[in-house]
Amino acid sequence: MSGGHALADEDRAARWRTVAAATGPADREAAEAGIRRAYAQAGLAAPERIVWAGSPLAATAAVLLLTGKEEWLPRELAERAAGTLRAAGVEPVAGGAGASVREAVRTQPWARARQRLHDDLGPAGWAGRWALAAAPLWEVTRALTERVRTGVTEALAPARDQETAVRLALLDAVLGQHDAPWLAAVTDEAESGPLAGVAAVARAAGWWWPYERVVIVAERPVELHRDEAGRLDRGDGPALAFPDGFALYAWRGMPVPAAFLEQLDELTPERIREEENAELRRVMLEHYGYERYLQESGAQPVHRDETGVLWRIALDGDEPVVMVEVVNSTPEPDGTHRTYWLRVPPRVRTAREGVAWTFGVDADAYHPERET
Amino acid sequence: MYRQGDVLIVPVAAEALPPGTDALPRQPRDGRGRLVLALGEVTGHAHAVVGPGTLVREPGPFGVSYLHLPDGGRVVHEEHAAIPLPKGWYRVVRQREYTPGAVRVVAD
Repeated sequence: MSGGHALADEDRAARWRTVAAATGPADREAAEAGIRRAYAQAGLAAPERIVWAGSPLAATAAVLLLTGKEEWLPRELAERAAGTLRAAGVEPVAGGAGASVREAVRTQPWARARQRLHDDLGPAGWAGRWALAAAPLWEVTRALTERVRTGVTEALAPARDQETAVRLALLDAVLGQHDAPWLAAVTDEAESGPLAGVAAVARAAGWWWPYERVVIVAERPVELHRDEAGRLDRGDGPALAFPDGFALYAWRGMPVPAAFLEQLDELTPERIREEENAELRRVMLEHYGYERYLQESGAQPVHRDETGVLWRIALDGDEPVVMVEVVNSTPEPDGTHRTYWLRVPPRVRTAREGVAWTFGVDADAYHPERET
Repeated sequence: MYRQGDVLIVPVAAEALPPGTDALPRQPRDGRGRLVLALGEVTGHAHAVVGPGTLVREPGPFGVSYLHLPDGGRVVHEEHAAIPLPKGWYRVVRQREYTPGAVRVVAD
Protein backbone atom coordinates (compact mmCIF):
# COMPACT_ATOMS: atom_id res chain seq x y z
CA MET A 1 0.00 0.00 0.00
CA SER A 2 1.29 3.48 -0.82
CA GLY A 3 1.99 6.14 1.76
CA GLY A 4 -0.83 8.24 0.31
CA HIS A 5 -3.38 5.55 1.12
CA ALA A 6 -2.01 5.15 4.61
CA LEU A 7 -2.40 8.84 5.31
CA ALA A 8 -5.96 8.85 4.05
CA ASP A 9 -6.80 5.87 6.27
CA GLU A 10 -5.44 7.72 9.30
CA ASP A 11 -7.62 10.68 8.33
CA ARG A 12 -10.59 8.33 8.27
CA ALA A 13 -9.78 7.15 11.77
CA ALA A 14 -9.35 10.72 13.03
CA ARG A 15 -12.66 11.88 11.54
CA TRP A 16 -14.63 9.01 13.08
CA ARG A 17 -12.78 9.17 16.38
CA THR A 18 -14.46 12.55 16.89
CA VAL A 19 -17.85 10.99 16.17
CA ALA A 20 -17.29 8.11 18.60
CA ALA A 21 -16.34 10.50 21.42
CA ALA A 22 -18.98 13.17 20.73
CA THR A 23 -21.06 14.37 23.67
CA GLY A 24 -23.95 16.77 23.98
CA PRO A 25 -27.48 16.95 22.60
CA ALA A 26 -28.23 15.00 19.44
CA ASP A 27 -28.87 16.87 16.22
CA ARG A 28 -32.40 15.47 16.07
CA GLU A 29 -33.25 16.89 12.66
CA ALA A 30 -30.11 15.41 11.07
CA ALA A 31 -30.60 12.10 12.87
CA GLU A 32 -34.22 11.76 11.76
CA ALA A 33 -33.29 12.64 8.16
CA GLY A 34 -30.55 9.99 8.37
CA ILE A 35 -33.02 7.41 9.67
CA ARG A 36 -35.46 8.08 6.82
CA ARG A 37 -32.62 7.91 4.33
CA ALA A 38 -31.43 4.58 5.79
CA TYR A 39 -34.95 3.15 5.49
CA ALA A 40 -35.25 4.41 1.89
CA GLN A 41 -31.83 2.99 1.00
CA ALA A 42 -32.97 -0.37 2.42
CA GLY A 43 -36.11 -0.23 0.24
CA LEU A 44 -38.40 0.16 3.28
CA ALA A 45 -41.31 2.53 3.93
CA ALA A 46 -40.37 5.41 6.22
CA PRO A 47 -41.07 4.75 9.91
CA GLU A 48 -44.35 6.19 11.18
CA ARG A 49 -42.86 7.43 14.45
CA ILE A 50 -39.41 8.35 15.72
CA VAL A 51 -39.23 8.27 19.54
CA TRP A 52 -36.41 10.02 21.42
CA ALA A 53 -35.11 8.55 24.67
CA GLY A 54 -32.75 10.18 27.18
CA SER A 55 -30.26 7.29 27.26
CA PRO A 56 -29.64 3.75 26.00
CA LEU A 57 -31.21 2.64 29.30
CA ALA A 58 -34.48 4.47 28.65
CA ALA A 59 -34.45 3.33 25.02
CA THR A 60 -33.93 -0.31 26.01
CA ALA A 61 -36.80 -0.07 28.51
CA ALA A 62 -39.05 1.21 25.70
CA VAL A 63 -37.88 -1.62 23.44
CA LEU A 64 -38.73 -4.19 26.16
CA LEU A 65 -42.25 -2.75 26.42
CA LEU A 66 -42.67 -3.04 22.66
CA THR A 67 -41.49 -6.66 22.69
CA GLY A 68 -43.71 -7.79 25.59
CA LYS A 69 -41.09 -8.05 28.34
CA GLU A 70 -42.53 -5.40 30.58
CA GLU A 71 -43.98 -7.51 33.43
CA TRP A 72 -40.69 -7.73 35.34
CA LEU A 73 -39.24 -4.34 34.41
CA PRO A 74 -38.57 -2.12 37.42
CA ARG A 75 -41.86 -0.23 37.78
CA GLU A 76 -40.48 3.30 37.66
CA LEU A 77 -38.45 2.65 34.52
CA ALA A 78 -41.41 0.89 32.83
CA GLU A 79 -43.75 3.77 33.61
CA ARG A 80 -41.29 6.36 32.39
CA ALA A 81 -40.70 4.41 29.14
CA ALA A 82 -44.46 4.00 28.61
CA GLY A 83 -44.90 7.75 29.07
CA THR A 84 -42.17 8.49 26.54
CA LEU A 85 -43.76 6.16 23.98
CA ARG A 86 -47.30 7.51 24.50
CA ALA A 87 -46.09 11.12 24.21
CA ALA A 88 -44.63 10.20 20.81
CA GLY A 89 -47.91 8.58 19.72
CA VAL A 90 -46.83 4.95 20.16
CA GLU A 91 -48.88 2.46 22.23
CA PRO A 92 -46.53 0.82 24.75
CA VAL A 93 -47.70 -2.72 23.99
CA ALA A 94 -46.05 -5.84 22.60
CA GLY A 95 -45.89 -5.67 18.81
CA GLY A 96 -46.57 -1.93 18.87
CA ALA A 97 -43.56 -1.17 16.66
CA GLY A 98 -43.57 -4.09 14.22
CA ALA A 99 -40.60 -6.36 13.60
CA SER A 100 -36.95 -5.33 13.85
CA VAL A 101 -35.50 -4.17 10.53
CA ARG A 102 -31.91 -3.88 11.77
CA GLU A 103 -30.78 -6.56 9.34
CA ALA A 104 -32.10 -4.64 6.31
CA VAL A 105 -31.11 -1.17 7.50
CA ARG A 106 -27.67 -1.80 8.93
CA THR A 107 -26.28 -5.33 8.59
CA GLN A 108 -26.92 -6.07 4.92
CA PRO A 109 -25.69 -2.72 3.54
CA TRP A 110 -22.62 -3.03 5.76
CA ALA A 111 -21.90 -6.56 4.49
CA ARG A 112 -22.28 -5.43 0.87
CA ALA A 113 -20.04 -2.38 1.40
CA ARG A 114 -17.39 -4.55 3.03
CA GLN A 115 -17.57 -7.08 0.18
CA ARG A 116 -17.23 -4.33 -2.45
CA LEU A 117 -14.19 -2.87 -0.72
CA HIS A 118 -12.72 -6.33 -0.24
CA ASP A 119 -13.08 -6.90 -4.01
CA ASP A 120 -11.67 -3.47 -4.91
CA LEU A 121 -8.72 -3.40 -2.51
CA GLY A 122 -7.94 -7.12 -2.41
CA PRO A 123 -7.65 -9.12 0.83
CA ALA A 124 -4.38 -7.43 1.88
CA GLY A 125 -5.69 -3.97 0.95
CA TRP A 126 -8.86 -4.51 2.95
CA ALA A 127 -6.84 -5.80 5.91
CA GLY A 128 -4.64 -2.70 5.67
CA ARG A 129 -7.67 -0.42 5.50
CA TRP A 130 -9.15 -2.07 8.58
CA ALA A 131 -5.83 -1.94 10.46
CA LEU A 132 -5.27 1.77 9.83
CA ALA A 133 -8.77 3.23 9.72
CA ALA A 134 -10.91 1.05 11.99
CA ALA A 135 -8.71 -0.89 14.41
CA PRO A 136 -7.43 2.17 16.32
CA LEU A 137 -11.03 2.93 17.32
CA TRP A 138 -12.25 -0.62 17.71
CA GLU A 139 -10.92 -1.71 21.09
CA VAL A 140 -11.74 1.43 23.09
CA THR A 141 -15.15 1.86 21.49
CA ARG A 142 -16.03 -1.79 22.02
CA ALA A 143 -14.97 -1.55 25.66
CA LEU A 144 -17.21 1.50 26.07
CA THR A 145 -20.25 -0.10 24.43
CA GLU A 146 -19.81 -3.24 26.51
CA ARG A 147 -19.76 -1.14 29.68
CA VAL A 148 -22.97 0.58 28.59
CA ARG A 149 -24.59 -2.79 27.86
CA THR A 150 -23.55 -4.06 31.28
CA GLY A 151 -24.86 -0.92 32.99
CA VAL A 152 -28.20 -1.18 31.17
CA THR A 153 -28.49 -4.88 31.98
CA GLU A 154 -27.77 -4.31 35.67
CA ALA A 155 -30.39 -1.56 35.85
CA LEU A 156 -33.14 -3.37 33.92
CA ALA A 157 -32.78 -7.02 34.92
CA PRO A 158 -33.54 -7.43 38.63
CA ALA A 159 -32.85 -11.16 38.40
CA ARG A 160 -30.32 -13.19 36.46
CA ASP A 161 -32.87 -15.07 34.35
CA GLN A 162 -34.07 -11.75 32.91
CA GLU A 163 -30.64 -10.70 31.70
CA THR A 164 -31.00 -12.64 28.45
CA ALA A 165 -34.07 -10.63 27.43
CA VAL A 166 -32.22 -7.37 28.07
CA ARG A 167 -29.14 -8.57 26.19
CA LEU A 168 -31.33 -9.56 23.23
CA ALA A 169 -33.02 -6.13 23.22
CA LEU A 170 -29.57 -4.53 23.22
CA LEU A 171 -28.49 -6.67 20.27
CA ASP A 172 -31.31 -5.10 18.22
CA ALA A 173 -29.62 -1.70 18.51
CA VAL A 174 -27.68 0.06 15.80
CA LEU A 175 -24.91 1.77 17.76
CA GLY A 176 -25.04 5.23 16.16
CA GLN A 177 -21.90 7.16 17.14
CA HIS A 178 -20.37 3.93 18.46
CA ASP A 179 -20.53 2.37 14.99
CA ALA A 180 -17.71 4.80 14.16
CA PRO A 181 -14.96 2.11 13.97
CA TRP A 182 -16.52 0.14 11.11
CA LEU A 183 -17.89 3.27 9.43
CA ALA A 184 -14.28 4.53 9.36
CA ALA A 185 -13.31 1.51 7.28
CA VAL A 186 -16.05 2.24 4.72
CA THR A 187 -15.92 6.04 4.89
CA ASP A 188 -16.57 6.52 1.17
CA GLU A 189 -19.75 4.43 1.33
CA ALA A 190 -20.69 6.40 4.43
CA GLU A 191 -20.32 9.78 2.72
CA SER A 192 -22.64 9.27 -0.23
CA GLY A 193 -23.09 5.53 -0.75
CA PRO A 194 -25.56 2.96 0.58
CA LEU A 195 -24.49 3.55 4.18
CA ALA A 196 -24.99 7.32 4.04
CA GLY A 197 -28.20 7.18 6.10
CA VAL A 198 -26.68 5.02 8.83
CA ALA A 199 -23.59 7.25 8.88
CA ALA A 200 -25.69 10.42 9.16
CA VAL A 201 -27.40 9.01 12.26
CA ALA A 202 -23.98 8.10 13.70
CA ARG A 203 -22.79 11.68 13.31
CA ALA A 204 -25.92 13.06 14.97
CA ALA A 205 -27.12 10.67 17.69
CA GLY A 206 -26.53 7.68 19.94
CA TRP A 207 -27.89 4.16 19.78
CA TRP A 208 -31.07 3.50 17.76
CA TRP A 209 -33.50 0.64 17.33
CA PRO A 210 -35.13 0.38 13.88
CA TYR A 211 -38.50 -1.41 13.72
CA GLU A 212 -40.97 -1.60 10.84
CA ARG A 213 -43.20 1.23 12.07
CA VAL A 214 -41.24 2.86 14.92
CA VAL A 215 -37.66 3.89 15.62
CA ILE A 216 -36.37 4.45 19.16
CA VAL A 217 -33.31 6.76 19.27
CA ALA A 218 -31.14 7.50 22.29
CA GLU A 219 -29.42 10.76 23.08
CA ARG A 220 -25.62 10.91 23.24
CA PRO A 221 -23.85 11.19 26.60
CA VAL A 222 -23.45 14.59 28.25
CA GLU A 223 -20.33 13.43 30.12
CA LEU A 224 -17.57 11.15 28.85
CA HIS A 225 -14.24 11.01 30.68
CA ARG A 226 -11.50 8.54 29.78
CA ASP A 227 -7.85 8.09 30.68
CA GLU A 228 -5.02 7.87 28.16
CA ALA A 229 -5.69 4.16 27.69
CA GLY A 230 -9.28 4.97 26.71
CA ARG A 231 -10.76 3.50 29.89
CA LEU A 232 -13.62 5.25 31.66
CA ASP A 233 -11.97 7.31 34.39
CA ARG A 234 -13.19 10.08 36.66
CA GLY A 235 -12.61 10.74 40.33
CA ASP A 236 -15.22 13.43 41.04
CA GLY A 237 -18.37 12.40 39.20
CA PRO A 238 -19.79 10.02 36.61
CA ALA A 239 -17.31 8.96 33.92
CA LEU A 240 -20.24 8.49 31.53
CA ALA A 241 -23.60 10.23 31.96
CA PHE A 242 -26.68 10.71 29.79
CA PRO A 243 -29.13 13.61 29.93
CA ASP A 244 -31.83 11.57 31.73
CA GLY A 245 -29.48 10.75 34.61
CA PHE A 246 -28.32 7.26 33.57
CA ALA A 247 -24.65 7.25 34.58
CA LEU A 248 -21.66 4.98 35.05
CA TYR A 249 -18.86 5.59 37.55
CA ALA A 250 -15.35 4.27 37.00
CA TRP A 251 -11.78 4.85 38.07
CA ARG A 252 -9.11 3.83 35.53
CA GLY A 253 -11.71 1.62 33.90
CA MET A 254 -12.73 -0.11 37.13
CA PRO A 255 -16.46 0.26 37.84
CA VAL A 256 -17.03 1.84 41.26
CA PRO A 257 -20.22 2.82 43.11
CA ALA A 258 -21.15 6.52 42.94
CA ALA A 259 -21.05 6.74 46.74
CA PHE A 260 -17.48 5.49 46.72
CA LEU A 261 -16.26 8.48 44.70
CA GLU A 262 -18.12 10.93 46.93
CA GLN A 263 -16.03 9.92 49.92
CA LEU A 264 -12.66 10.10 48.13
CA ASP A 265 -12.17 13.73 49.07
CA GLU A 266 -12.72 12.95 52.75
CA LEU A 267 -10.32 10.04 52.97
CA THR A 268 -8.12 9.48 55.98
CA PRO A 269 -5.30 6.99 56.42
CA GLU A 270 -7.55 5.10 58.89
CA ARG A 271 -10.39 4.84 56.37
CA ILE A 272 -7.95 3.51 53.74
CA ARG A 273 -6.56 0.94 56.15
CA GLU A 274 -10.09 -0.19 57.09
CA GLU A 275 -11.26 -0.72 53.48
CA GLU A 276 -11.58 -4.47 53.01
CA ASN A 277 -11.88 -4.51 49.20
CA ALA A 278 -8.30 -4.55 47.88
CA GLU A 279 -9.21 -2.98 44.52
CA LEU A 280 -11.12 -0.13 46.11
CA ARG A 281 -8.29 0.40 48.59
CA ARG A 282 -5.85 0.67 45.69
CA VAL A 283 -8.07 3.35 44.14
CA MET A 284 -8.18 5.16 47.48
CA LEU A 285 -4.41 5.06 47.87
CA GLU A 286 -3.81 6.32 44.37
CA HIS A 287 -6.34 9.12 44.80
CA TYR A 288 -5.02 10.09 48.23
CA GLY A 289 -1.40 10.02 47.05
CA TYR A 290 1.18 7.54 48.27
CA GLU A 291 3.46 10.35 49.40
CA ARG A 292 0.79 11.98 51.55
CA TYR A 293 -0.26 8.60 52.88
CA LEU A 294 3.31 7.84 53.89
CA GLN A 295 3.62 11.12 55.72
CA GLU A 296 0.23 11.10 57.43
CA SER A 297 0.02 7.43 58.30
CA GLY A 298 3.27 7.62 60.22
CA ALA A 299 4.93 5.03 57.98
CA GLN A 300 8.51 4.30 59.03
CA PRO A 301 11.41 4.00 56.59
CA VAL A 302 12.75 0.43 56.52
CA HIS A 303 16.09 1.15 54.87
CA ARG A 304 18.23 4.09 53.90
CA ASP A 305 21.42 4.35 51.83
CA GLU A 306 23.07 6.79 49.41
CA THR A 307 20.56 5.96 46.64
CA GLY A 308 17.47 6.88 48.67
CA VAL A 309 15.03 5.67 51.32
CA LEU A 310 12.84 2.55 51.27
CA TRP A 311 9.34 2.73 52.76
CA ARG A 312 6.89 -0.05 53.45
CA ILE A 313 3.17 0.08 54.24
CA ALA A 314 1.58 -3.18 55.39
CA LEU A 315 -1.99 -3.75 54.18
CA ASP A 316 -4.38 -6.40 55.46
CA GLY A 317 -5.27 -8.94 52.80
CA ASP A 318 -3.17 -7.33 50.08
CA GLU A 319 0.50 -7.13 49.17
CA PRO A 320 2.34 -4.35 50.99
CA VAL A 321 3.07 -1.05 49.24
CA VAL A 322 6.86 -0.72 49.03
CA MET A 323 8.30 2.52 47.69
CA VAL A 324 11.70 4.09 47.17
CA GLU A 325 12.08 7.78 47.87
CA VAL A 326 14.58 9.24 45.43
CA VAL A 327 16.08 12.71 45.44
CA ASN A 328 16.84 14.40 42.12
CA SER A 329 20.52 15.37 42.02
CA THR A 330 19.92 18.55 40.05
CA PRO A 331 18.53 21.34 42.25
CA GLU A 332 15.29 23.07 41.29
CA PRO A 333 15.50 26.81 40.44
CA ASP A 334 14.78 27.63 44.12
CA GLY A 335 17.74 25.51 45.27
CA THR A 336 15.69 22.65 46.71
CA HIS A 337 15.98 19.07 45.49
CA ARG A 338 12.83 17.44 44.17
CA THR A 339 11.91 14.22 45.93
CA TYR A 340 9.81 11.56 44.28
CA TRP A 341 8.44 8.17 45.22
CA LEU A 342 8.40 5.10 43.02
CA ARG A 343 6.54 1.92 43.87
CA VAL A 344 8.70 -1.23 43.64
CA PRO A 345 7.91 -4.95 44.05
CA PRO A 346 7.17 -6.00 47.65
CA ARG A 347 10.18 -8.35 47.77
CA VAL A 348 12.59 -5.38 47.66
CA ARG A 349 14.56 -5.02 50.94
CA THR A 350 16.98 -2.11 50.42
CA ALA A 351 16.81 1.33 48.84
CA ARG A 352 19.59 0.45 46.38
CA GLU A 353 17.78 -2.75 45.37
CA GLY A 354 14.62 -0.67 44.82
CA VAL A 355 16.25 2.03 42.71
CA ALA A 356 18.18 -0.62 40.74
CA TRP A 357 14.89 -2.46 40.08
CA THR A 358 13.33 0.70 38.60
CA PHE A 359 16.10 0.59 35.98
CA GLY A 360 15.99 -3.19 35.52
CA VAL A 361 19.52 -3.80 36.82
CA ASP A 362 20.86 -5.80 39.77
CA ALA A 363 21.50 -3.95 43.03
CA ASP A 364 25.18 -4.99 42.91
CA ALA A 365 25.56 -3.49 39.43
CA TYR A 366 23.83 -0.18 40.17
CA HIS A 367 26.59 2.35 40.72
CA PRO A 368 26.12 5.50 38.59
CA GLU A 369 29.36 7.46 38.42
CA ARG A 370 27.46 10.63 37.63
CA GLU A 371 23.86 11.58 38.47
CA THR A 372 22.00 14.76 37.56
CA MET B 1 26.90 4.13 34.20
CA TYR B 2 25.23 7.53 34.22
CA ARG B 3 21.83 8.62 35.47
CA GLN B 4 19.99 11.70 34.28
CA GLY B 5 16.61 11.90 35.99
CA ASP B 6 14.58 8.87 34.94
CA VAL B 7 17.08 7.63 32.35
CA LEU B 8 20.01 5.30 33.05
CA ILE B 9 22.81 5.15 30.48
CA VAL B 10 24.88 1.97 30.83
CA PRO B 11 28.16 1.48 28.89
CA VAL B 12 28.27 -1.75 26.87
CA ALA B 13 31.41 -3.21 25.32
CA ALA B 14 30.96 -3.50 21.54
CA GLU B 15 31.61 -7.27 21.70
CA ALA B 16 28.91 -7.64 24.38
CA LEU B 17 26.13 -6.09 22.24
CA PRO B 18 23.31 -8.47 21.30
CA PRO B 19 23.77 -9.91 17.80
CA GLY B 20 22.07 -7.79 15.15
CA THR B 21 22.25 -4.51 17.12
CA ASP B 22 23.94 -2.87 14.12
CA ALA B 23 21.02 -3.79 11.89
CA LEU B 24 18.29 -2.43 14.18
CA PRO B 25 16.25 0.50 12.81
CA ARG B 26 17.96 3.84 13.42
CA GLN B 27 15.86 6.34 15.33
CA PRO B 28 15.40 9.62 13.45
CA ARG B 29 16.70 12.86 14.98
CA ASP B 30 14.10 15.34 16.22
CA GLY B 31 13.30 18.74 14.68
CA ARG B 32 16.32 20.23 16.49
CA GLY B 33 18.70 17.58 15.15
CA ARG B 34 19.00 15.73 18.48
CA LEU B 35 18.87 12.02 19.29
CA VAL B 36 16.03 11.79 21.80
CA LEU B 37 16.66 9.07 24.38
CA ALA B 38 13.41 9.68 26.26
CA LEU B 39 10.65 12.24 25.96
CA GLY B 40 8.56 13.44 28.91
CA GLU B 41 5.00 13.00 27.72
CA VAL B 42 3.63 15.66 30.05
CA THR B 43 6.30 18.36 29.88
CA GLY B 44 7.70 17.66 26.41
CA HIS B 45 11.17 17.87 27.96
CA ALA B 46 13.67 15.45 26.46
CA HIS B 47 16.77 13.56 27.49
CA ALA B 48 18.72 14.04 24.26
CA VAL B 49 22.18 13.71 22.77
CA VAL B 50 23.61 16.45 20.60
CA GLY B 51 26.41 15.79 18.11
CA PRO B 52 27.38 12.79 16.02
CA GLY B 53 26.12 9.32 16.90
CA THR B 54 23.34 6.84 16.27
CA LEU B 55 20.44 5.55 18.33
CA VAL B 56 18.87 2.18 17.53
CA ARG B 57 15.90 0.54 19.15
CA GLU B 58 14.61 -3.01 19.36
CA PRO B 59 11.05 -3.31 18.02
CA GLY B 60 8.09 -3.59 20.41
CA PRO B 61 6.86 -1.57 23.36
CA PHE B 62 9.57 -2.90 25.69
CA GLY B 63 12.35 -2.79 23.10
CA VAL B 64 15.75 -1.71 24.40
CA SER B 65 17.54 1.33 22.94
CA TYR B 66 21.29 1.35 22.20
CA LEU B 67 23.27 4.53 21.70
CA HIS B 68 26.53 4.64 19.73
CA LEU B 69 28.81 7.64 20.20
CA PRO B 70 31.92 7.17 18.02
CA ASP B 71 33.45 10.44 19.30
CA GLY B 72 31.71 10.74 22.66
CA GLY B 73 28.93 13.25 23.33
CA ARG B 74 26.74 15.01 25.85
CA VAL B 75 23.28 14.11 27.12
CA VAL B 76 21.21 17.20 27.88
CA HIS B 77 17.80 17.89 29.45
CA GLU B 78 15.78 21.04 30.17
CA GLU B 79 15.81 20.42 33.95
CA HIS B 80 18.93 18.35 34.59
CA ALA B 81 22.62 19.17 34.31
CA ALA B 82 24.29 17.87 31.12
CA ILE B 83 26.41 14.72 31.40
CA PRO B 84 29.45 14.19 29.14
CA LEU B 85 29.71 10.63 27.80
CA PRO B 86 32.97 8.97 26.62
CA LYS B 87 32.96 7.37 23.18
CA GLY B 88 31.44 3.91 22.88
CA TRP B 89 28.15 2.00 23.00
CA TYR B 90 25.47 2.45 25.67
CA ARG B 91 22.27 0.74 26.68
CA VAL B 92 19.58 3.33 27.47
CA VAL B 93 17.14 2.35 30.22
CA ARG B 94 13.95 4.26 31.10
CA GLN B 95 12.94 4.17 34.74
CA ARG B 96 9.82 2.12 35.52
CA GLU B 97 7.43 1.78 38.41
CA TYR B 98 5.79 -1.27 39.89
CA THR B 99 2.02 -1.55 39.88
CA PRO B 100 0.38 -4.75 41.12
CA GLY B 101 -0.02 -6.97 38.08
CA ALA B 102 1.74 -4.55 35.72
CA VAL B 103 4.71 -2.26 35.29
CA ARG B 104 4.53 1.27 33.94
CA VAL B 105 7.12 3.69 32.64
CA VAL B 106 7.85 6.82 34.65
CA ALA B 107 7.20 10.18 32.95
CA ASP B 108 9.85 12.64 34.10
